[in-house]
Formats: sequence, structure tokens, C-alpha cells
Amino acid sequence: MALVNNNALAIVLCSVLALPTAFGTAQAQDQCLTCHSTLEDNASTAFKGDIHFRNGLTCASCHGGDSHTDDMEKAMGTAAGFIGVPKGDRISVACAKCHSDAGVMVKKYNSAIPLDQMELVEGSVHGKLSTSGREHIAQCTSCHGAHGIVTKTNRSSPVHPLNLPATCTKCHSDATFMRTYNPSLPVDQLEKYKTSVHGKRNKNGDPKTAECASCHGSHEILSAKDPRSQVHPTKLPATCAKCHSDATYMKPYGIASDQFEQFARSVHGQALLEKKDLGAPACNDCHGNHGAAPPGVESVSKVCGTCHALNAELFSSSPHKKAFDSRKLPECETCHGNHEIVAAKDELLGVGEGAVCAWCHKENSNIKGYQIARTMRSLADSLIASEENAIMLVDEAEQKGMEVGEAKFKLREIRQARLETRTKVHSFDLDQFSEVATRGFGSAAKVSTEASQAIDQYYFRRWGLFIASLIITILAFALYISIRRIEKEQVQNR
Amino acid sequence: MKTLWNRTFTWIDERVQLSDVMHFLEKKSVPVHSHSVWYYFGGVSLFLFIIQVVTGILLLLYYKGSEELAFESIQFIMAKVEFGWLIRSIHSWAANLFILSAFIHMFSVLFEKAYRKPRELTWLSGMILLFLGMGFGFSGYLLPWNEVSFFATKVGTDIAGVLPVVGEPLMVFLRGGEDVTGATLSRFFGFHVAVLPGIFTVVLGLHLLLVQRQGMSKPLSYERLPATDQKTMPFFPNFMLRDLLLWLLVLNLLAILAVFFPWELGVKADQFAPAPAGIKPEWYFMFMFQTLKYIPGELWFLEGEVVGILLFSLAGVVWMFIPFWDKKSSRGEENRFINYIGLFALIYIIILTTIGWLS
Amino acid sequence: MDTPTTLDQPQHSKRDFLKYLLGGGILAWLGAVFYPVFAYLKPPKQGDVEVTSVKAGKLSEIEKESGVIVRFGNKPVMMVRTAEGEVRAFSATCTHLDCTVQFRKDTGVIWCACHNGKYDLNGRVVGGPPPRPLDEYRVIIQADEVIISSRT
Repeated sequence: MALVNNNALAIVLCSVLALPTAFGTAQAQDQCLTCHSTLEDNASTAFKGDIHFRNGLTCASCHGGDSHTDDMEKAMGTAAGFIGVPKGDRISVACAKCHSDAGVMVKKYNSAIPLDQMELVEGSVHGKLSTSGREHIAQCTSCHGAHGIVTKTNRSSPVHPLNLPATCTKCHSDATFMRTYNPSLPVDQLEKYKTSVHGKRNKNGDPKTAECASCHGSHEILSAKDPRSQVHPTKLPATCAKCHSDATYMKPYGIASDQFEQFARSVHGQALLEKKDLGAPACNDCHGNHGAAPPGVESVSKVCGTCHALNAELFSSSPHKKAFDSRKLPECETCHGNHEIVAAKDELLGVGEGAVCAWCHKENSNIKGYQIARTMRSLADSLIASEENAIMLVDEAEQKGMEVGEAKFKLREIRQARLETRTKVHSFDLDQFSEVATRGFGSAAKVSTEASQAIDQYYFRRWGLFIASLIITILAFALYISIRRIEKEQVQNR
Repeated sequence: MKTLWNRTFTWIDERVQLSDVMHFLEKKSVPVHSHSVWYYFGGVSLFLFIIQVVTGILLLLYYKGSEELAFESIQFIMAKVEFGWLIRSIHSWAANLFILSAFIHMFSVLFEKAYRKPRELTWLSGMILLFLGMGFGFSGYLLPWNEVSFFATKVGTDIAGVLPVVGEPLMVFLRGGEDVTGATLSRFFGFHVAVLPGIFTVVLGLHLLLVQRQGMSKPLSYERLPATDQKTMPFFPNFMLRDLLLWLLVLNLLAILAVFFPWELGVKADQFAPAPAGIKPEWYFMFMFQTLKYIPGELWFLEGEVVGILLFSLAGVVWMFIPFWDKKSSRGEENRFINYIGLFALIYIIILTTIGWLS
Repeated sequence: MDTPTTLDQPQHSKRDFLKYLLGGGILAWLGAVFYPVFAYLKPPKQGDVEVTSVKAGKLSEIEKESGVIVRFGNKPVMMVRTAEGEVRAFSATCTHLDCTVQFRKDTGVIWCACHNGKYDLNGRVVGGPPPRPLDEYRVIIQADEVIISSRT
């Protein structure tokens, strides 16, 4: 009933307004818009600002039907291809009709917009079926709007960098809604984002700073657990580097742009990017992802300590914690660097060249630390020498064909002790360090003894052979002489 | 000392007439001629067999014949048992030297025609001993259960399986199943330490008994000499002492080999791993293995391998019955043809073994 | 009269020397052969091939809520005893980067000091970077003896 009334009203209005508007501008050809504008519905109001409108498209371009006629029944008839208000997937199909067609986009409109959005969305998480099972989770209009679509560089676009967080979080901050799809997915991304450097800048109107699409992509969004995703740990550093390694882009912000390069050279970078070890940290593991910001000076050891627990614990209870924090020195980073963390070499320890202890501890200032550093270094060097000696002996024994399985097993103990001393360095306490070093020396001594015994056994065998051969030779000789003698006697007796 | 010896001897003699045996033994003599050196190889083979028995029994005390433990038990012997390395390496080396010595012995008998009447049975039993010896080698090779031995056994039993009619059941019998598994190991262990030793001892007893009864064979050229020119030496003590001297030197050789060329153990067998490239059998099977490689895949209606095996079997049978079809030698006539056959066989074996080993 | 004796003398001494040489040689040879054989027959200290199973100690001597490293062939094995008294054994090589793990009584987990990897008392990963759980070994209790054996 209401529909009939509406239609009747529309007919009356259209015919009244048709005449004057018929002589209007080219847009007046869009009879649908003409009529609907008089209804002052949201769609037609918004459409006037729409980029499609400005490019000469009509309501019929998406809804089908005949936009030339003012006869409503003809215009909105199925004969003319009218599809009404498309629901569900039919929305995206309507968009894709042009947006996936090079003949339309490139040839006709000379547009540089990619043509694969539909394909990408279908392969993305949003392309999965919704809870109703009747359509995909997201349609084009979910993010881009329906009638007032403008380019993303337009400040009023819902996908403009400054508006995008709000657009995404329409769903993603709605706990009730998200629970229907993935109850374990967090819904506090926006809250965290607001605390981040990116979020703060975004709020202050900087369109260059990262927002949801910068990292997650727009159409091709995949779960972070998917190895193809831009935010999968193995791909994440490169994603951050898209901006952060671009010196020109980052210039106004006054921060370095070589972090990715440095990271790629580090142990963490090598492990993550080359060996695909997911246990290694990507940018977000130390900086946070939605709440991204560099860790504060006092919390560096806590952040590193999420994996390097023992070192962090020792450091935090050592005299260095107070000393570093009060001087605003960034704890672990001071000695180990932040992005280009390489395997800590022994040179770092001690008071010699390349040693970090020597930066503060000199022979005549901060003397106690100087002495501790020096002693630790010499103990570490001795332990390495002992280990190398043990390995050399075991190898020699093995080369000689002796069985040294047990000694080889004990080599692990020495290695373990060496690794532990390196960790104990972070206590900066000589007693703790020496305890472990002594244990290492003990193991090394045991192994060396066993290996030496095996090598001795080797020589014992050769000596044994020599003696046995000697005995046999003497016996053979005696036997030979006996034979000669017997035969001589036999000849004589004949 | 001497009276004790006399008293013991008399005590035994009163019960088993040992003096008859002693008379017989005293009269034993060995012909002396330019080819006498070949007489020693039977004894060397016997000595090496005795070494195998002794070292084998010692190894038995520590070896464990199951899939899980075989490899490790030998590792244990090599590393933890005192002189285990020596016993094991001697056992492995002596096995090879035994086969070598047996081949030399066989060929020297062939060229001297020592197999001729009345010694046909000695030749026959000797051939059986050779086959048994190679069986010892094949079964023993698997016992360490390492990569090489596993695949060598697989290939070897595969070849056995190719024989027409009997091949398949024979292969299953040998393997204790369709594939080479722990069951094969158990079986081979049983063959190696019980079945083969038992049969070998009986045949060896026969072989030695015949040699004792018939004495050393004389070359045809020697037989034609006038009796006065036929030099001999008494078996006791001359030949026996020389024999012992040689055995002593062979023992020393084994010790030197064990110390300087210890037998490898390699990697434990993994049934599911692919075969490593270039699996080779032990050298004494190599000439047959290499020959099979040269036979085209298919000959008439038969598989190449089957042809190869049948050919070798035929050759083996012919070889075994040489004393029976070589009528000339049994008549005391020279038979150059046998020399040619023997030379051909010898050269063939040497060349193919060398090719196989080098490739 | 004298000549026969003087002629015999050097023969006798040579003969005696040879006899001694031969006799001594034989004895020495017997020694050189039987010494290794007897040494071989003596069972070595490690009584038997320890490869599929290893004796890990007396049950009564293993404390509850404790963990200790035991040598299994060439590999370290972590033997733990739970609060309820059950004995379990796992490979002690961390599945992340091969460090040797340790038992932490305070947290009740098997912990790897290298990168803070944590495993529960069933060998499953409960924290940190390890990608796989720890391999489990069979534990057999015979009388008071604890035996660890590989799972076959």
C-alpha cells in the first residue's frame, strides 16, 4: 500500500517537475535522480557529490533501469534491467561490473585505479561468508559508502587516512559483532592506536601517518597468521619499512630511516626474515603494533626480557639498573643496540678495544667496575681456550678412530657453561660469573682427560702391535732356525 | 718332561691304538718341487677358518642380533670392550683373507690338476666349502646392520629372487619375509653361527680326512720323474713347522691390518632411507655383480638378470664337475684345455672385480 | 779324545740358545695372544650396550617436583617427577635453537634459559618461541629401579 502511494506521489511530482528540469544541464538526463531529488532521500542528496555522478554516471549505471525516461514504471521496470536496491553480494557485483572491467575503467575513463579489488576482497578475510551464509562479510559499500563515494584523497571519504580508523572500527571495535565471527580477536585496536605515535598524529590531522590500511592493506586483508599477509611476522618489517625506510617521506618527522636495513642485518632479522623463525621478534614485538611507540628508557629491559628473561632479571637486580636509568641510558640498547643487534661477541666484555664496559669504567674512574670487567673477560677467554682445547682433543681422538661418544656428550656441558657465563655477565657480579666459569673449567678438564686417554689408547695399540710383531718375529725366526737345523740333521743322517 | 709325555702317550695308546696313527703320520711325506709352495694354501685357509671360529665365538659374547641393538653392540665392542676393536677387525679381515686364500687354493689345485682321480671327492667337497664360505661372508656381512650391509643384502637377495620358479620362495626364505627387516637379521645370524658352521664342519672333516688318507697330490710332471728324483719332505716335523711359521706370519698380518686398517662401522641401517649411490657387494661377489650389469635388460624372452644367474649357475656346475669330464687328467695326460679355462676364469674374475671396484 | 767334546760344545750352546729362544718365543707369543683374549672376556665397566634404555636411578631417591638431566646415549634427557609422584622423561634439547632445558621448581615448568621457552610437564609448549613439543621417552619402573627407554 505504501509503495503504491509513494509511486503515485512520485508520478505526480515527476511530471510536475519534469518539464523545467528537462531543459537543465546534462545531468538532467538522469531522470532517476531528478525524481528522487524531489523526494530528498539521502541517496540522491549524497549522489550529487559522488565521483560517479561527476563522471556522468546515472542511478541506472548501478541500479539498472532506464534513466532517460520519466515514466517510473518504464524506468524502474525489469525490462529495462532494473535491479532495485541490491542486497548482499549483488552490491559488489554491481560495482565490479565496471570496476573490474579494463574496457570501462581504462579505455573509457582513463582511470589508474586497480581492477582487481573484487578478486582481492574475495580472497581476503572479508571475502568469507557472513553469519547468515548468504553473502560475503563485507561489500564495497561497507567501507566506501553507497552514494556519496569520493576518492580516498577527499577529506570527506570514509577511506581517507584520517577517517579510516573510524570506518574500520565500526565493526572491529564492536565486541558483540566481532564475537559472532572471531571471539578471540581483540577489539581494542582503536584504543591502543590512540596511544601510539601514529594514532596521535592521525588525530592531529596528518594524513601521511600510518592507519589501518597502511599496514593491513585495503582489499587484500588477510589474518596476521596467514604467511601471505602483509602483517605476518615474516612480512611485517618490510611493511613498516614501506614508510620508515623512505628517507624523503620520513624527513618531516626527524627520525632515522635505516631501521629496516639495520634490523635485516641483526640476529633477529636474520632469524625472522631468512630462517623464518617465528620465535624471533618483528617490529611489533618490541614496539607494539596498534599502540606502536618506542619503549621508554626504563622499560627496555622489560621488553627485551619477554624473551631474554634471565638477562633482564639479572640486569634489573644489578647496580647497572639504577645507574643506567638515572642517566637516561636505554638499558639493553646501550650496549647491544636496538635494531642492528648482532651476536654479542666477547670483545664487548672487558676493558680492551671494542669493549663497552670501557665507555664508563676506566682505570682511574669507576675502578671497581673496571676490575670486574677485566676479570670477567679474562675468565671468559680462558673458558673459551679450555673449550677449544677440549674440542681439539676430542676431534683428534675421533680422527684416530677412537670412540669418544661420552666425551662429545660432555662437550655440551662446556658449551652450556660458556653460554651461561655470557648471561651471568648481566649480573655484573663477579661471584656469580666465576661460579659458572669454574663449572665450565671443570667440565673442560674432564673432557680433555677423557679425550687424551682415548688418544693414548691409539698409541697404545700401535705400541702393542709393535711388541706383538716383535715377539712373532723372534718366534718366527727361532722356528725358521729350528726348521733349518732339523733339515740339516735329516740330510746328515741320511 | 719326556717321561710324562711317554706315560701319557702309552696310557692313550693302550686304549685307542694311537701308535697305528703315529706310524701313519710319521710316514706322511710332502712332495718337493717347484710348485710346492701352493701346498700351503689349504693350510692357510684352514688356519683362517680357525681364526674365524675363535674370534667369532668371542664376538658372540657381546654381539646382539636384533635390529635395535646389532649396530650399537658392535659399537660397544669397538669402543668399550677391551681389545674388542682387535677381535672385530681381525674377524672382518680374516673373512676376506679366507675367501682369497680359498680361491688361490682352488685355482692352484685346478692348474695342477690335483682334482684328478682319486681326488674327485676332495675337489667336490672343496667346492662346497667354497660356496659355504661365501655364504658365511654374505650372512656375516649383514650382521653389523649398517647402511652398506643392509643395501648389499637387499640387492643380493633381490638377485636370488630373480631365479625362475624357485627364486621368489628362495628370496622370502632368505629374507624371512618380503623385505629385508629385523627378521632377515635374525635368520642370517642363525645361518652364520649355527647352520653354516655345522655343515661346514662336517664337509671340512670329510675334506681333511680325504687329504689325510690320500696325501698330497703330485703334479703330472713330477709323477713322470724317476722315483729317485722325486724329492719329498716328511710332513712331521718339516712341513708342519713350515706351515706353522706361515700361519704365524699370517697372524701378524691380521694384527697389522687390524691396527692400521681398522674395519669401518659406518652408519646404522635405515630401512626407509633411499639407497646410497654406488652400492657394491663384497669383492668376492663383485665379478658376478659386474657381469650382471653388462647383460642387457632383456634377452629373447628372459630378463637379463635371469640369464646372468643361470649362466653363472651353469658355469658353477661345470666347474664343480671338472674332475668327471676331464678324462685326460685322470689318465695322467696333460690337459692344456683346462689351463686355458682356468686362466680365462682367473683373468675374467680379476678384471671384472677390478672394474667393479673402481667404478 | 778332546776333539769330539770341543766340536760338540759350540753345537750344544747353539742348540740350547735356540731352545731357549724357541721356548721363550712360544711363551711370549702365548702371552701376547691370551692377554688380549682374557682382557676381552672381562665385562667392561659399562656392563652392557646402553642404547635403547638407560638406568636412571632409584625411584625412592628421586624427589617429587624435581627434574634432572640424564645421559641417554649421546643425548640429554630430562627426567621429571611430578607432585603426584609420576616419573616422566623428555628430550632435554629445546626445539627452538637446541639449548639444554632445565626444570624450574618455582614455576613448575621445564624452562629454556636461552629465549625463555617454556614446556609443561607433558612436554607441550606453553610459552616462548619453541615450535614443537619435547619428544617423550618411555619410563619403566622395575622394583625400585627407574629405566628410561626410547619409544619403539
